[in-house]
Amino acid sequence: MITIAIAKGRMQDDALALLARAGVRLDEDARNSRRLALDDESGRYRFIFVKPADVPVYVEHGIADCGVVGRDVLLESQADLLLPLDLGIARCRMVVAAPDAEIMTRSLGMLRVATKYSQIAAAHFGSRGIPVEIIQLSGSVELAPALGLADLIVDLVETGRTLRENGLTVVEEIVESTGRLVVNRASYQLKTESITELVKALEAVVNGGPPA
Amino acid sequence: MRYYIGAEARLRRTIEDTAMAVFAEWSYEEVITPSVDYYDLFEQGMGQAEAQRGFRFTDNDGRLLALRPDVTSSVARMAATLLSERSRPLRFCYAAPVFRQQPQSHAEWRRENTQLGCELIGTNGHAADLEVLRLAAEILSRLDLQASYVITINNVEIFNGVAAQLDLAPAQREQLRRLIDTRESAELQRFIDGFSNPEGRAFLQTTQLTGKREVLRAAREVITNSRSVAALDSLEELWSEIESLGLADRFEIDLSDVSSLDYYTGLSLKVFVHGAGTSVGRGGRYDGLTGNFGRAEPAVGFVLNLDALTEVLARRMTNVS
Repeated sequence: MITIAIAKGRMQDDALALLARAGVRLDEDARNSRRLALDDESGRYRFIFVKPADVPVYVEHGIADCGVVGRDVLLESQADLLLPLDLGIARCRMVVAAPDAEIMTRSLGMLRVATKYSQIAAAHFGSRGIPVEIIQLSGSVELAPALGLADLIVDLVETGRTLRENGLTVVEEIVESTGRLVVNRASYQLKTESITELVKALEAVVNGGPPA
Repeated sequence: MRYYIGAEARLRRTIEDTAMAVFAEWSYEEVITPSVDYYDLFEQGMGQAEAQRGFRFTDNDGRLLALRPDVTSSVARMAATLLSERSRPLRFCYAAPVFRQQPQSHAEWRRENTQLGCELIGTNGHAADLEVLRLAAEILSRLDLQASYVITINNVEIFNGVAAQLDLAPAQREQLRRLIDTRESAELQRFIDGFSNPEGRAFLQTTQLTGKREVLRAAREVITNSRSVAALDSLEELWSEIESLGLADRFEIDLSDVSSLDYYTGLSLKVFVHGAGTSVGRGGRYDGLTGNFGRAEPAVGFVLNLDALTEVLARRMTNVS
């Protein structure tokens, strides 16, 4: 049996739809259930639903053989995983945003950056040699500049509406993020056939459009 | 930080004794190396990036010491200095704890783990490579894991030949290595498409990089540079020997195992066991290592992680009872 960890939240429905097209289906009862571990119709796959940041943890430890999670989460976690497939779902951008687009060039001292993604933020500013103080938040990051907690933020943007409504503009894009299939390194070697079958089925769906 | 008590400690001891008994049968002499040594030794032996994961501290005179992050560095220096006059080949084995810093919540979380390892120094060629592969297989099957393990093998010169052929700058080479290592097929495709030389395409079929002899056949269709071809020939010969020993169902060829290119110079291997989420052993050929200590000679070896093996076998015992 192959265990697949799915990031709960905005990626969940897209991920399940994609897997269903690849032949891995949950029946109606299961989809409406609130259980966090479920078997698919064929009994060959088990789904577990966990918070996005926990997907790389479950997969790296081999508790789940594979997972579906955003690139943003993977970059932040720095887990040691195989990333065989870009699923192209839940597309969004990791950006630097500020009330004032000039801030990067004007402020030569220390910039304060509020973010949920401290690793990504530190790596981004570090690689450019810009000294920053990272302020780790766990949500509503867009508030921080307006209230004076930070000069700018690093956050995930889908449409940009939340940024605009909180008076922020995108200063620069760090990376684009989409949902990825991730695979545990040991599972890949020990369950090669089943994993390969899943990767190929998903690859066909992602590249070939909808065979329904 | 882990205690082993009673039955668990006995199990761990049995695993250690089993491995050391196999080593002894194959004429490997036990060696006990210092737990604390000068940091320079490990930097010369492992390279800076790996050695820096060791725990470091200073001696009275200010010189930098480290708790050994590996045993191979010490054995290599010993072979090149203390035992430089002894006739070759040298065969050494050990069961010794090594110490490394680990990222938080990383799957390989043990700061301290005991390596069951061996080194075969001063002999080249398939016979030596095959000897250590057979040793690893023998230990695993005596631990009753004969149906649960997979050993992947690769020859890092396949990658090195292609990278040289593409004439990559160091940063590009590292990018290519990383994309192959993590099997990022789409990004890899874009990277390869930037070159007119088609050899990189050998690494594109992420779903076909692991397998038996057919993997080599597929690679040969696009790889023509002499360095990689020699490595493919060498891997194929080794594979034939593995087949003739009846071990082909326990071994896999994995061309994407490019995780330690700066260390290994030919064969590289990883050991996986059902029930462990990460590899439980690794090794390969490091002909460049003893040269760092003044006497260049071929060397090959591997280590198994005693603590990871104990965990797998302990869980298995609990499930049975």
